[in-house]
Amino acid sequence: MTEHTIGTQEQWQAQRDELLKEEKELTRRGDELAAKRSRLPWVAVEKDYRFETESGTQGLADLFDGRSQLMVYHFMFGPSYEAGCPVCCSIADTLAAQVPHLKARDTTLILASRAPLEKLIGFRKRMGWDIGWVSSGGSDFNRDIGFMHTEDELQPFLAGEIPVTVIQNAEMCGTTAGGYVAEGPGLSVYTLADGVVYRTYVSTARGLEFAMPYYALLDRTPKGRDEHPGTPIWLRRHDEYASSVAAV
Amino acid sequence: MPEHTIGTREEWQAARNELAKLEAEQAERNREVREKRLALPWVPVETQYEFDTEDGKKTLAELFDGRSQLLAYNVMFGPDYTLGACPGCTSLADGLDGALVHLNHSDITLICFSRAPIDRLAAYKQRMGWEFPYVSTYNTDFAFDFGLALTEEQAQGIPEVREMTENPPGWLEEWAGQVGADLKDGLRENPSWIAFARENGTVYHTYTVSAPDPFVAPYFSFLAERTPNKGPDEPRSFRKDEYPD
Repeated sequence: MTEHTIGTQEQWQAQRDELLKEEKELTRRGDELAAKRSRLPWVAVEKDYRFETESGTQGLADLFDGRSQLMVYHFMFGPSYEAGCPVCCSIADTLAAQVPHLKARDTTLILASRAPLEKLIGFRKRMGWDIGWVSSGGSDFNRDIGFMHTEDELQPFLAGEIPVTVIQNAEMCGTTAGGYVAEGPGLSVYTLADGVVYRTYVSTARGLEFAMPYYALLDRTPKGRDEHPGTPIWLRRHDEYASSVAAV
Repeated sequence: MPEHTIGTREEWQAARNELAKLEAEQAERNREVREKRLALPWVPVETQYEFDTEDGKKTLAELFDGRSQLLAYNVMFGPDYTLGACPGCTSLADGLDGALVHLNHSDITLICFSRAPIDRLAAYKQRMGWEFPYVSTYNTDFAFDFGLALTEEQAQGIPEVREMTENPPGWLEEWAGQVGADLKDGLRENPSWIAFARENGTVYHTYTVSAPDPFVAPYFSFLAERTPNKGPDEPRSFRKDEYPD
């Protein structure tokens, strides 16, 4: 239970007015950040990546699907996984609903993972998402932007104390901790101009919180996030809460 | 298309690293603001409200549906709107179902409120394919008591609202056409998030945030903000089944 005080309407309003000033300052800084983000240089993507898609083998430019902007969520679903990462699932739960709105803004939003396409499509059917999903398993697409790690690279991490959330998520994905963390989550953004594909933005790890809108919602509730270090993450796939290994 | 430079991978990485520092600072400030939000006092709700829901009449305590926290988005859909809710609010609501089950399992009931009668909310919910509970504040003082709606007199008394009603920009005139209401009525609804807690049989109001806070924006705007061309700055929105083309 969160500690809290009980107050009058007047006390609440006075504190709320103070907080509003800080929220506005946060918004102003967020706007500045967005402006800086849009000034990142564009980097031409020169490699000819190939993807397995529901329309056959395609290049990166084809994935734009006729629009000028492409947003790829790198969903952790490696070749050794039996099912997709539960946290990525919670992200996809909300991303899928944004597809039509982003299309209207000339932006195609898709998921990409390294597992074979049929595994991805089968899992998507189970989760009921209406969003494109491509397999990047046959190319260095993930590797080149840092979303795929080799056994050698992971050795120090795996030799140390592995966080409980990693162990739990690996089990839920039907793979080992090493297999699980070989994949990295992330968002990469591309634009197509005069036939050239440019990479414009990449974000990963803690920089993905904007893709987890439930955190922004939790941040407005009376008890907040209520998460504790050392406790495994509470998120489950949306159809697995009832049978979750550690009920919240 | 915004101005942009073309760079090498190394130049991009250097700029990205600088930006990452600022993003981390922003995350830290956000954490501080979050803590202050949690420090707001809880205010007991003394008035007995009764709402029309899809399952009949319910009190505020009953809207918690057995959980200890209630988080609600107030969709602009007033009794005078003849064609449906505000398209921007509708787009925001499109993003809620993805979070619904996750919040429900965190002891939070997530719902939407609007002031139009329940049968119109239920029909609109069906049209949009939403799953979250949609509750009507029609014929209650709830929306007025919590700053989620303005009375005609209040609206008349706010110079900014009067100005927008009398000299609306083009996008706002279009918006009035989309919802099928006169602006003098349409602008009386306040798009807001509101949160309540329930403890030992008492319901407490804990938090409200309203436009123009960016949290009261459709989720895709946070994604679009990360694309090179995020689109027009005017708040022109469409319902997902009404996009032109």
